[in-house]
Amino acid sequence: MPQITLGNIRKSFGSSTVIPDFSAQIEDGEFLVLLGPSGCGKSTLLRMIAGLSDISGGDLRFDGTAVNEWTPSQRGVAFVFQSYALYPHMTVRENIAFPLIMDAFQKWYHIPVVNSVMRWKLMRRPDIAERTDHIARQLELTPMMDRRPANLSGGQRQRVALARSLVRDPSLYLLDEPLSNLDAKLRTQMRSEISALHKRVKKTFIYVTHDQVEAMTMATKIIVMNKGEIQQIGTPDEIYANPANTFVARFVGAPPMNLLNVRQHGTVLSLDGGAEWTHPGILPTKQASLGIRPENLNLRPEGEGLIPIEVSLVERLGAETLLGCRMVSKAASETLLGEDLIFVRVQGNPQIEASARFGLSYAADDVRWYDQTSGQAVTVCDNSPLSRCA
Amino acid sequence: MTDISTGAARSLPQRARKSRFSAKAVLPYIFILPPVMYLAVFMFWPLARQIYLSFTKTRLINPSRSQFIGLDNYDRLLASPDFYSALHITVVYSVMAVVLGVALGTIAALALNRPFPGRTIVRAVLLFGWAVPNVAASLVWLWIFNERSGVLNRIVTGLGLDSVPWLTTTHMALPSVLLVTVWQVAPFVMLVMLAALQSVPEEVREAARIDNADKLNIFRAVTLPHVMPTLQLVSLLVAVWSIRRFDIIYLLTGGGPIGSTSTLIVKLRQTAFENHDLGLASAYGVIGLILALSVATIHALFNRHRAKRSMQ
Repeated sequence: MPQITLGNIRKSFGSSTVIPDFSAQIEDGEFLVLLGPSGCGKSTLLRMIAGLSDISGGDLRFDGTAVNEWTPSQRGVAFVFQSYALYPHMTVRENIAFPLIMDAFQKWYHIPVVNSVMRWKLMRRPDIAERTDHIARQLELTPMMDRRPANLSGGQRQRVALARSLVRDPSLYLLDEPLSNLDAKLRTQMRSEISALHKRVKKTFIYVTHDQVEAMTMATKIIVMNKGEIQQIGTPDEIYANPANTFVARFVGAPPMNLLNVRQHGTVLSLDGGAEWTHPGILPTKQASLGIRPENLNLRPEGEGLIPIEVSLVERLGAETLLGCRMVSKAASETLLGEDLIFVRVQGNPQIEASARFGLSYAADDVRWYDQTSGQAVTVCDNSPLSRCA
Repeated sequence: MTDISTGAARSLPQRARKSRFSAKAVLPYIFILPPVMYLAVFMFWPLARQIYLSFTKTRLINPSRSQFIGLDNYDRLLASPDFYSALHITVVYSVMAVVLGVALGTIAALALNRPFPGRTIVRAVLLFGWAVPNVAASLVWLWIFNERSGVLNRIVTGLGLDSVPWLTTTHMALPSVLLVTVWQVAPFVMLVMLAALQSVPEEVREAARIDNADKLNIFRAVTLPHVMPTLQLVSLLVAVWSIRRFDIIYLLTGGGPIGSTSTLIVKLRQTAFENHDLGLASAYGVIGLILALSVATIHALFNRHRAKRSMQ
């Protein structure tokens, strides 16, 4: 199993640069998710790792060996495409066995009649047939081995694509948004199947997606990308709890982290329009935006808490309720402040209606600070033993 | 309740009668009327007439005085060595036109499917043969093939060889006619195949690369199955066109020398307009029609087989 090192990888198409400079290391057995919005270069990066696209600059190394010039098959990778890319005229069995047949293919089999005969013979060679059947059993494809992809459902096609990539027992699995063509229910099921597969085969997976739920649930490590650049590398928990910048804070989490462009006056925070409250903890040394996840805001009866709000949007999701709130100025209690809604996540369904008024409170530990110009996270230091600066 | 149902029952036949003649029901027939009329006047009627004429003794000088003679024309046809020669030449000519035209056109399409500098210019040049009208092309080739002043023989003699009688010997005439045919057919095949090749999904080709398939295997496993329906269709078209091709053959050789390029259609013209025997000429036409229909039937059977397989 290779350790993959991406050293200053660059990709340009003509004069436009998609990935300016990308460096990262991927360890054995990791489930790495490349997460980012459409067009951020994550699929391009995956294709470069697979050898399907040329690398414009930098080094790609497998266990220290530069593989820039290696063909896809030399790299020994499996690739699962978004469109599944199954061979439409082959049966499921032929699709799964194809990589094995190609591995056993000799140059002289290209002679016209020999070709058909040898492919037919290879299909029936005990080791190939056995391996094909074994993988098909694993992915519950046995009943449909003689069907063609056109007559399979999306989920079944996806499983055939997975089976085809599994059959050669590669050391690196590359998956390019493999679940985006499936419906929500099937996606959940396939998500757990892929996670289980990763645990079973114990190989390195690199998974490209723009869906943060897939990233959070499957990854052991996430690289958040934007415009071809790394925004943050970390475990799902790290990325969620401590976003490195406002892009990550807004991209990861649904609804995203609330970001308030507050002004500091001593320990008092204020917003345009007059909302003012005393922050219950230590403030950063310079002006910064306050970031807080919706589940870390607590509802208090009107008149209590730190920030007075009015509910303007209620989304009841069953197990939880999302409230979109606007701030109410303390000075003129009729004015609702700010364009962006502050999202609050509450457990269950407390039957809150729009235009209800509450107060919001939060714990200082749950707050993240971001530089108002660069958007980068700002660390707050105090002398307590729990300080994150320690 | 009863009132409503009887009311509905009463109005139903009225509505049905009304809808049968409503604009919506008649509109499709109005739309297909012009092509049906066209086909009836220029295809079905002449075809029916030809089939009828093949059972009659009809002279060109007085076509209205035809006499029904049953299968006599076919008897004469099957007894004549000229017919077998024409049938043989037609089959050889058509098969070779399909094999060479489709092969060359497909190879050209494969070459043009990959990017290289000047691709657009090369494509335009290669399409030239198809764009030139048949008569003009035949006249140009007549000059190229000219035994004394033609370009081909200048090259041949320039190489120190004897000049070749391209169109005037029995063993060279058919290959020469085929050369011009392929020159005309291949660009069309190239154009159609290029469109088919460009629709091959890139991801499937990439999947095959990942699966360790070399270029030939990618072609066999991905490209060829994808373009196969187009390849079959274009072969059918070239075959049918070859069976009924007249202009190139007639202008280059007139069917000669000694009938060596005389296909069924050339023979048909000769029988009808030189021998004035419309009945026998029609029988030639019907045989040509059967030949073309059998090719189309084979194509339809292939299609059905493919549809059945894909339903598995």
